[in-house]
Amino acid sequence: MTLRQKILLLATIPLLVAVAVIMAVVNRQAEAVSAQEIALFEKTMLAAKKAELLNYMSLAETSIEHLTGIPRNSSAEDVIEAQTRAKQILNSLTFGEDGYFFVYDLDGTSVVHPKQGWRVGQNYLDLRDKDDRPVIRNLIAAAKAGGGFTRYAWEQPSRGDVTDKIGYAVLIEPWGWMMGTGIYIDDVITQAAAARAGVDARIRQTFLLIGGITLATVLAVFATWIVINIRESRLADAKLQALAQKVTDAQEDERGRVARELHDSISQILVSVKYMLQRARRAPDTGEALGKAEENLNLAITEVRRISHDLRPGLLDDLGLSRALQNLGEEFATRTGIAVDVQTTAFKNLLPDDVKTALYRIAQEALTNVERHAGASRVELGVTHGQEGVVLKITDDGCGFDPAGLRASRKPVGIGLKNMAERIARHGGKLSIDSNAEGTGLRAWLPRGVLRSGGAVAAPRAAEPATDAAWPAE
Amino acid sequence: MTDRAPIRVIIADDHPLVLEGVRACLETYDHIEILGTATTGKAALDLARRTAPDIAILDINMPEMNGLDATEQFRETVPETRLLILSMHDDREYIASALQAGARGYILKDVSTEEMVAAIEAIHRGGTYFSAGVDAFASLAEDPATDTALTTREQTILLCLADGKSNKDIARELDISVRTVETHRKNLKRKLGISSTAGLTRYVIENGLGRA
Repeated sequence: MTLRQKILLLATIPLLVAVAVIMAVVNRQAEAVSAQEIALFEKTMLAAKKAELLNYMSLAETSIEHLTGIPRNSSAEDVIEAQTRAKQILNSLTFGEDGYFFVYDLDGTSVVHPKQGWRVGQNYLDLRDKDDRPVIRNLIAAAKAGGGFTRYAWEQPSRGDVTDKIGYAVLIEPWGWMMGTGIYIDDVITQAAAARAGVDARIRQTFLLIGGITLATVLAVFATWIVINIRESRLADAKLQALAQKVTDAQEDERGRVARELHDSISQILVSVKYMLQRARRAPDTGEALGKAEENLNLAITEVRRISHDLRPGLLDDLGLSRALQNLGEEFATRTGIAVDVQTTAFKNLLPDDVKTALYRIAQEALTNVERHAGASRVELGVTHGQEGVVLKITDDGCGFDPAGLRASRKPVGIGLKNMAERIARHGGKLSIDSNAEGTGLRAWLPRGVLRSGGAVAAPRAAEPATDAAWPAE
Repeated sequence: MTDRAPIRVIIADDHPLVLEGVRACLETYDHIEILGTATTGKAALDLARRTAPDIAILDINMPEMNGLDATEQFRETVPETRLLILSMHDDREYIASALQAGARGYILKDVSTEEMVAAIEAIHRGGTYFSAGVDAFASLAEDPATDTALTTREQTILLCLADGKSNKDIARELDISVRTVETHRKNLKRKLGISSTAGLTRYVIENGLGRA
């Protein structure tokens, strides 16, 4: 997983977690609030219904008061007469669509039922509704307790199906009657359900809103990420192209230089040798011409040696970095007159070829910079290795410069420094520059891993003891 | 010189044309006998083991052991053979390394045949020879105070010692005598200014080269 992907995850995961938590909290709170609201609403509605019931009941009581109130010592005929008249009154007394009064005796036998006349005369003491409530028993108990409310399910005459209703029952003591009435609360239930549905819809809407905002945010994060990625990869491409161009340019320059040198020096000398040999074949003074040819051939050999040394010092391959740096320092001192102190290690062939070359080129580039820009009188050049790794140091007492400013610039020196840093970074190392008016110190560090370990060196020797195979021809 | 036994010589160079040229030049001299030629340091060493020449002329750039490492091993294996380096390089570092390895002479490839023969003769007499342009460095390079760099063999032995191997182990591993190992060990202590084997081990570790 790349660093960039980790950052992306860091940006989105907390967001998603936070949103999930917010949604859960909102959901719980909304549900709690709505449950409270609905309960309150139901309570209010039911209270209103109960008040209504009490009113109806007192109306009914009043309307048969003159019958139930006949003297206790009245004759049986009079009592039956009064009861018959009371039944008639109650049968005709209705309110609303489904409002009526009913009477049961205390044994549970139906006495009056205006809407369901077929019930009269039958015993319902053990009748239970769909929720297993003993409807008549409860009503009788409420009546005996001095009048009270009971909730139960009953067939609603106008709708023909069973719905919840609230009943209120009183005792008509002289006749042993329980008189009751009820009011269907289907409208309350319907309205509460509607309210609940409304709340659910609101919660759903809130959820959708939060989800939408979250989705938009996450998409925005992803889009930004993609844009940054594309931009950076374009920048990297551009940088790579520039670098490739630089490498190609440098290669072309170098080839041009070598071609010129080969043509200007070697081939001219060889041509002259050829003329001398041709002359020697015909002329009488053979010895002189041959001597001249030999002399010129030596010149060609010297030139080839010089060109090849400039291209790549064979020293580096044959004798290792320490000797090559010593040689570099000597040549530099001779050429520039700047004193060079080279400190090297007693060991050799500890570094792989590419690392060795990188360090050598860095030293070369650093010395070139010293020669061109530093105005130094003294340079220290040293390579050391130890537990902490391999370190190449080039220190001068010149005028110094601003490394940060220069590295950012497009001047050749800036590019040179950048190249050095890239070269050393390729092997896992680091380049650091410390410069002030007293001089400049350049330090190239490589991890210890680039050193060939003692063990790795010793191993192959056992297989081929006489040839010292561990140190290949370098 | 014709009345004396000829100087027995082998030549090693990885360029066949150069080998042929040197051989052609030297064959015109009666007092020099070419025993054979080789194109690698290793082959030259094998050839020397079989023929025990008076002088081996070695190039530096060769595959399978370069001329300098070969020189060191010649000194161990066939110490009677004297080494003459024949090289393109006139850098001081090459000459110093050649002398350090035990070469008796160093001539450049562009010297005349006469000079090459002069070098062979000088070395055969027990002297040394450096061609013009090289001789200026010869005395500097021989001074042990100015050069503490280890030879390939010394470095190999130092790392073996740091691994805790005994002189005998090392001698067996490198196919050399215990006395030779002892000599290398003395040279190591002198070059590094260290008096004990423990000190050598510590030196290796301090330089980041200990066994991980």
